[in-house]
Amino acid sequence: MIFLAEAPPGTHPTVSVCGAWYCTFNYDSLISSALAIVITLLVGFMVAYRLSHGVPGKLQMLFEFLLDYVRGLIRESVGEGGGFIVPLAMTIGFYILVANWLDFFPLARPVHPANADLNQTLAMALVVIIVVQGYSLRVLGVRGYFRRFTKPFEMALPIRILFIPLNVIEEVVKPVTLSLRLFGNIFAGTLMVYLLGLLITYVASLVPTGLPGSAFGVVLTPIVEGLLILWKAFDIFFVGSIQAFIFTLLTIIYFGMAREGLEEEGHGRHPSSAPAAVETGG
Amino acid sequence: MNHAIVLAGALIAAGIALGGGAIGAAVGDGLAGNATIQGTARQPEAQARLQIIMFLIIGLVEAMYFINLALGFYFITAVASGVK
Repeated sequence: MIFLAEAPPGTHPTVSVCGAWYCTFNYDSLISSALAIVITLLVGFMVAYRLSHGVPGKLQMLFEFLLDYVRGLIRESVGEGGGFIVPLAMTIGFYILVANWLDFFPLARPVHPANADLNQTLAMALVVIIVVQGYSLRVLGVRGYFRRFTKPFEMALPIRILFIPLNVIEEVVKPVTLSLRLFGNIFAGTLMVYLLGLLITYVASLVPTGLPGSAFGVVLTPIVEGLLILWKAFDIFFVGSIQAFIFTLLTIIYFGMAREGLEEEGHGRHPSSAPAAVETGG
Repeated sequence: MNHAIVLAGALIAAGIALGGGAIGAAVGDGLAGNATIQGTARQPEAQARLQIIMFLIIGLVEAMYFINLALGFYFITAVASGVK
């Protein structure tokens, strides 16, 4: 079954430019993410090129719906000053979606789901977290930024100082969980399909040939393989979409968390976000 | 001999980790479903919105289990290749 062709997961062939660890690349991840990027850009430019003011096509409608949804989410959790998050969150979410869905098609050996490599997801999570910290610094100012680490603001000051390590751990853990969640889901999905495929071959090899029972196996194998394809489709289209959505959503939520303490803190406010700070209640 | 013992230990540890993770994920899924059913029973018109949130929560809850699975597999392969 060609849809079940899976390379053993967890191993990445590497190519090294200069021999040291910092210029060694998992070239399979490079190829597959490049493929996903090209497809993402193609679809994006296609939608932008065929943009119409009249009756929109199905793809354009889908894009407009998603954009509206993400804009609404950002308005709710970040406020009016968060317009710059829309391109970041949408690009990452759409790229993850394409990269996850690509895995369903039978691809040649070096191509695998791009997010089944921790380096890939960690890169995206780090980009998000760095922008989040920059946004936090810009909105809250230096003083407000460090004040955010003493988080339960309504408590007395000595108790809040005790909370500093917990808040630091929370900030450090954010990119780790963000990247591990996506990586774990996609990698485990690939692993499951691979192991189940191995199981089918193994069980089929147990049936001795020449017996009346072996004809049963001939009938049964395509059915089991069909079920496995169904499982793979569920895994990729359901889990992959949900994980792409969760990554986008958590990106937005982290931006919302980055402006905590803005309401009661009067200082260090960025001029452009000052009106929004008054309107949004958290 | 040493290798066999370590490998067996790694397999058993991964099995225990996967089992515990599965218990947690199942309980979390059940709680999410329970809350969705209660919310739908109270406000049937909110069903569509609640379902989206439920799938979101299920995705978050099961992510922990999948992290478990992926890391368990990594540990097994690392142990198997590390001990000679």
